[in-house]
Amino acid sequence: MEITDIYVNLPVKDVQKTREFWTKLGFSINEQFSDEKAICVVMKENHIYTMFLHEEFFKTFTDRPVANGQTTQTLLAIGVNSREKVDQMVNIAVDNGGSTYSEPRDHGWMYQSAFSDLDGHQWEVMFGDVSQIPTE
Amino acid sequence: MKINQIYVNLPVKDVQKTKDFWTKLGFTINEQFSDEKAACVVLNDNTFVMFLTEEYFQTFSERPVPKGDTTQVLVAIGLDSREEVDQIVNAAVANGATQHEEPQDYGWMYQNSFWDINGHGWNVTFADMSQLPQ
Repeated sequence: MEITDIYVNLPVKDVQKTREFWTKLGFSINEQFSDEKAICVVMKENHIYTMFLHEEFFKTFTDRPVANGQTTQTLLAIGVNSREKVDQMVNIAVDNGGSTYSEPRDHGWMYQSAFSDLDGHQWEVMFGDVSQIPTE
Repeated sequence: MKINQIYVNLPVKDVQKTKDFWTKLGFTINEQFSDEKAACVVLNDNTFVMFLTEEYFQTFSERPVPKGDTTQVLVAIGLDSREEVDQIVNAAVANGATQHEEPQDYGWMYQNSFWDINGHGWNVTFADMSQLPQ
């Protein structure tokens, strides 16, 4: 079984601020799937999207309360094409209201840095070269 | 900015049971990225889900793992047909998941959903974008 595409849905307090944040990180918005209650950030065209839904709207899709930011249910690891892009994204995130919660890690074959977005969702940004994974 | 892949990381209580569950749904496991602490489920060439034991997951975040009484994320996955949508949800329910809500038919999109054995919510969809109302 293979999927065609993925939409990761996350709750946010302010859709407009979230739009500005992800636009500053360099991503485009799919306007057809965006309105005042939600925005659709294109992470990889035709394949990977993140939908940021206003908490009130998000709540309508689950019978449990929206997490209050004191816990972590998910960590989202996203791959980019170079180490420079990893650092660039984390730096822009921090400059625009995000924060870091761990130090960059260099595993040789993989470089990773992380930021927490405006709503505390945690993103692990990585550049990996699987051909360099140690075999033992 | 574009990404080339995504790994959705989620905490679980039992890695082996989680592996069995997702295998029964028809997905393959990337064994290179799996061990007793984590299972890497391949959704497609660029999309993966890493299920980590709660203890291991905890080492990546300074905040506690939720007890399953709140929702921070819902993951929607697209498939190639309505039949595959129902097939996955039926296989999930037959293997310990619970149906989340009734299937919804929007004409251009068909959606079904389940809560997996660890309480994570999944929306399963088939969409025909050419039929999206303008």
